[in-house]
Amino acid sequence: MTKSPRRLLVVCVGNPDRGDDGLGPLVAKTLAGALPADVRLTCANGDMLGLIPQWSGVDGMICVDAAALLTTPGRIHRFDLATTELPRDMAPPSSHALGLAEAIALARALEQAPRHIVVYAVEGAAFAGGAAMTPAVATAAGEVARRVVAEVESLR
Amino acid sequence: MATRTIRVDNLARIEGEAALDLHIDGGQVVAAQLNIFEPPRFFEALLRGRGYNEIADITARICGICPVAYQMSAVHAIENAFGVTVEGQLRALRRLMYCAEWIESHTLHVVMLHAPDFLGYADAIAMARDHGDIVRGGLALKRTGNELLRLLGGREVHPVNVKAGGFYRVPRPAELEGVAENLKIARDRAIDLVRWVATFPFPDYERDYEFVALRHRQEYPFNEGRLVSSRGLDIDIADYDSEFEERQVSHSTALHSVLKRRGAYLVGPLARYALNYDRLPGSIRDLAAAAGLGPVCRNPFHSIIVRALEIVFACEEALRLIADYEPPLEASAPIAPRASVGFGCTEAPRGICWHRYAFAADGTIAAARIVPPTSQNQPNIEADLAAVATPLVDQPDDVIRARCEQSIRNYDPCISCSTHFLKLSVHRT
Repeated sequence: MTKSPRRLLVVCVGNPDRGDDGLGPLVAKTLAGALPADVRLTCANGDMLGLIPQWSGVDGMICVDAAALLTTPGRIHRFDLATTELPRDMAPPSSHALGLAEAIALARALEQAPRHIVVYAVEGAAFAGGAAMTPAVATAAGEVARRVVAEVESLR
Repeated sequence: MATRTIRVDNLARIEGEAALDLHIDGGQVVAAQLNIFEPPRFFEALLRGRGYNEIADITARICGICPVAYQMSAVHAIENAFGVTVEGQLRALRRLMYCAEWIESHTLHVVMLHAPDFLGYADAIAMARDHGDIVRGGLALKRTGNELLRLLGGREVHPVNVKAGGFYRVPRPAELEGVAENLKIARDRAIDLVRWVATFPFPDYERDYEFVALRHRQEYPFNEGRLVSSRGLDIDIADYDSEFEERQVSHSTALHSVLKRRGAYLVGPLARYALNYDRLPGSIRDLAAAAGLGPVCRNPFHSIIVRALEIVFACEEALRLIADYEPPLEASAPIAPRASVGFGCTEAPRGICWHRYAFAADGTIAAARIVPPTSQNQPNIEADLAAVATPLVDQPDDVIRARCEQSIRNYDPCISCSTHFLKLSVHRT
């Protein structure tokens, strides 16, 4: 029987000044005070490489990030990386900053990735600097926060 | 004769969007064009009408990996225009900030972007499965550079603490001492990195480049010096336009910079090293010799060794500067604008970054020119590509493609700075 993970991390990714990319920070704001005290909640923006050292010793990680629009703004996707690969072509390629998918792949290659990783991605439509968040994305943030709380409970 | 076309829809591990067209006719490479199609970003135009005190924050946005270069060239140009000289610990802090940028930028390139080329891996993630300790060490090294940059710049990407005359806030000695402990570990990691990259298999290839770099009377250059070349150029940075010109080429949205009288020239680690070898500490020269390098290195593939050496240098220099640090009384020197023209030129990780600004009496920017390193190296990138592909014309397309990609990455090009993606097409007739 697999031992349940104890050390949990919630990472909310995004830039609050770029419209729907602010989903992660908004979820983090909603989650503040809603998680058990031993669950670490962090925000991240830009290069994800710097996050890898923080994952050392973490058993389970839940990530929240905005995603490019596929069909409907506010649509929530859940990826359990035990069974699903995170698409690595969702972000524009850049040599100077690794996205979340690349950072997780690198951490796994280095055997520094948490055993359990779940990623919530919400489709966005407006990512320009200073843009307002799409109402459907803002609504989805509340739902994602509720799911993260439930996810934390199940991982504990 | 049959025509063969190889197409790579995107080349990873460079910053920016570009394509390479390689034309092979009758067993000869007849053309190699780096086609940069990324739209220009018009930074020079959007600076016009802004105040001098906005330049450092706006130009920092040109690049996420080398914002310090743009900030430093900009503030030096402003101070040059307004007759201000920044000296003492403020100058030392600027040099320290540049150390941080070289450490994080060079480490990213050496470990994460370029090393996989030499060892036959698709990327650093694949390489990490076999060389985990190296990649972990590289990440730690980069983290130390970022830590130092965050302390001095307020944040590691697009720093916000730089202004004409100095800084908004200077660090307390205790803050720097904390980073110094990590820098000592980083220096040892960088030495190991030099030894590791020196064992790579290198193509037997040299070209007689005209190297161009800053040269300072005492220091290995970061922030100041005269512009010198391996063929006798020795000018003040204000005279750049008398010797260099930027040209438009039909296949690139980035300008090509050339020496008016001699054409292509090379900037960056190989040029700095060759023109400033005698300015390197003995410990670095000894390390270079142990890695198989003499005072001049003309094999562009060896640039990975020189970059690694420059990481060691930056760690040592940072430690020296921190050991000598005494907080200045003021975080910045006073600035009084006047109608004037000023020049700045500093050594970005990829080579010289030259700025010129014309100001109105109230310090409003009337004109701005920014010449980034990658646009200066473009003609040589194309010449290298033709040369490295020529002996391989009978090889399969994927062999040619791999060598061309490796050659492009010798320059750690930042296409975004120069105007993202590289598409490689090989046309055979």
